[in-house]
Amino acid sequence: MGLESNLKEGSLVTARLEDLVNWARRNSTWPLLFGLACCAMEMIAAGTARHDIARYGSELFRATPRQADLIIVSGRVSNKMAPVIRRLHDQMLEPKWVIAMGICASAGGPFNNYAIVQGVDKIIPVDVYVPGCPPRPEALLYGMELLRQKQTGEHFSKYVFTPEQPGVPAEAEQAMTGLAPRIG
Amino acid sequence: MPLLNVSPVDRLYETLPNLDDINIPARAPQPDGETEDTQAIAAAFGNRILAAGLQHDLPFVHVAPADLRDLVIWLRDGDLAYTTLIDITSVDLSELPDPDPDVRFQTVYLLRSLSRHKALFIVCPLPGGDDAEAPSLAGQFPGAIWPEREVMDLMGIRFADHPDPRRILMPAAWPNHPLRKDVPLGGEDVPFSLTWDHPEFDGLGDQILDPESLPPDLPPGMNRQNMILNMGPHHPSTHGVLRLVVELDGERVVNVDPDLGYLHSGFEKTGEHRRYKDFVYYTDRMDYLSAMNNNLGYVLAVEGMLDLEIPARAQAIRVIMSEMQRIASHLFWLSTHVLDISGNGMSLLMYATRERERILDLFEMVCGARLTTSYIRIGGVWQDLPEAFLGALSEFCDLFPGRIDEYRDLVKDSPIWRTRLEGIGMVGREDALAMGLTGPMLRGSGVDWDLRRDQPYSGYEQYEFDVPTSDRGDGFGRYEIRMEEMRQSVRIIRQALDRLPDGLYRSDDRKVNPPPRTELDVSMESLIHHFKLFTEGFKVPPGMYYHGIEASKGELGFFIYSDGSGKPYRLHVRGPSFNNLYAIGGMSRGLMLSDIITNIGSIDIVLGEVDR
Repeated sequence: MGLESNLKEGSLVTARLEDLVNWARRNSTWPLLFGLACCAMEMIAAGTARHDIARYGSELFRATPRQADLIIVSGRVSNKMAPVIRRLHDQMLEPKWVIAMGICASAGGPFNNYAIVQGVDKIIPVDVYVPGCPPRPEALLYGMELLRQKQTGEHFSKYVFTPEQPGVPAEAEQAMTGLAPRIG
Repeated sequence: MPLLNVSPVDRLYETLPNLDDINIPARAPQPDGETEDTQAIAAAFGNRILAAGLQHDLPFVHVAPADLRDLVIWLRDGDLAYTTLIDITSVDLSELPDPDPDVRFQTVYLLRSLSRHKALFIVCPLPGGDDAEAPSLAGQFPGAIWPEREVMDLMGIRFADHPDPRRILMPAAWPNHPLRKDVPLGGEDVPFSLTWDHPEFDGLGDQILDPESLPPDLPPGMNRQNMILNMGPHHPSTHGVLRLVVELDGERVVNVDPDLGYLHSGFEKTGEHRRYKDFVYYTDRMDYLSAMNNNLGYVLAVEGMLDLEIPARAQAIRVIMSEMQRIASHLFWLSTHVLDISGNGMSLLMYATRERERILDLFEMVCGARLTTSYIRIGGVWQDLPEAFLGALSEFCDLFPGRIDEYRDLVKDSPIWRTRLEGIGMVGREDALAMGLTGPMLRGSGVDWDLRRDQPYSGYEQYEFDVPTSDRGDGFGRYEIRMEEMRQSVRIIRQALDRLPDGLYRSDDRKVNPPPRTELDVSMESLIHHFKLFTEGFKVPPGMYYHGIEASKGELGFFIYSDGSGKPYRLHVRGPSFNNLYAIGGMSRGLMLSDIITNIGSIDIVLGEVDR
């Protein structure tokens, strides 16, 4: 398909490593098998035959956060659930992305009350907000398209520990990498 | 088809009610009149009954807490045969006029006699002010344990001799009882500023609990000598955010303790702050696989209080929608259940969702939404059926029974399917009644009860259908019942399609439903009605009311305490999943760990409705 038919035996292709890695990541972003409320039903619908999320390499919903790249927060986040979501997100390996699916996960939606956290971005960083109540499966797929655009432009430097980040003292990083601490 | 399905413009209008009616808010009136049952109760208990009679045509008995247990035992074991406790709820009376500082709370019990097709409400005013105590009915009905814990958690009423007095929905460290009237709705102010350094943003995130890690408490009755396993709230097979604490001896289940509330969304408290018509949209999000049924249950409760006449066409449309939703819900149950327990699961998921998508397409045709429909409104339905709908639905009805055979053939003879369902998750007939199970869970234990047939609503008495039951009491019996229910739903839809009446799709009572846009230009009265309906909503006569319908998972009921204003004073939802889930402990004890997964699927829960 395309490239390989134009290549002769022994040909070389040069590319930036970042581009190659981003290409691989954006075409096999595995979501966490994690549903909260109504939006989860549309997330499942996105995974079934008609909408077929497999077209974008995201059909492999992983049950453990250690194997997932993406958490789709599909529904309202209650106060009791918030620490659980935080822990799930902490358990995911970098690089990781978050989609807030639907208005409840984005901003609380119709549930502006004692029980519901007004947007999951209060507890974890969100990459893409998908509006709707619930968003249609197509809307989720479009949200994932936006995420792919974002993944395309990512840089390795985002994942290098910097002294500002808690938990990794500057001296320790210097000892690990042999480099002077990065500034900025 | 007429563009505007309305009555003529020159209709007579009643005078509008006074804006500042001094009689509002008001307490629910004392019940009056009598029925055979209230007569019998009054004859047997005499002065111990505080009041008995009818309210909004429902029988109510008021009794002091000291006599509650005697009354309930007498009702259960006597000739009246009120054998099932369906629901327990409570009302905080403190914001009603003439509050009695000593009697702040009352509990309300709903008993049902399945053999006599009767329902009875018991109201129990609790002395003791803020620190009220009610007798626990857990000894009489195991099905009371969870509803009483819910009342305890959300309203702060203690239950004497309760076997398990823990919070059930809110986090253990929650500072208050949210349904009390002196506790605010909560939430956050919506910021209107566009700059992040504006002080409006300072308060954001205030309502989030501190994320400190607390060592989990061992549920009562569990033994650390055995293995304690945590399942959920993030687990692929718990069908949502259900957490189970499981005590295991080897791989045998000794004890199961469900921990609920991870999706508690404050529906009931929110309902008390919304006008009646505005709560319809919330009901969609409760059992999100069964939105039409939720809509129907709620609007029937409000219409019952208003004594509203619903046009025949609207009723037929409601029946069609309700049955389509039942099919869609059962399809989702089937596909996820098979996915959980059987080897060929993924293919059935794809097949079953193929048909479910067709139903969602039809929903989209009538109301533009797939899941959260809000199509059934107070007084009728939102819009008339579009022309293409009838043909498309009829086509679906032709095709669907064959598809059910296909699903059946996929799993029927699968040895995995049969071994994992037959004899697993047994619920005996007496247990099912005592636990207050409803829907396929009840019918799977050999109890022939279906609200559609036995206490018909929305014109169900005009349709011919069978109520499948099974004496097996196991997961396989419940599977067979749900498959047959899908066939019966198609049968009902066919009948409704064949004799779909013409006429209004929505009541033309201007006290409840706004006049059509064209009328506003010519009639001052219409304009006033429109304005009033959209600014303050309609008012509902004071009183207590409950209406239950047969949703796909069981009896879905809405209890409303109206103080005569435009918002419910107290709104309570009796969710079938909540009461049915209580059975998981008894069903799973002695089985293997993997059978818990089977049982969760077999009960068919939706956490949005369990936690509300």
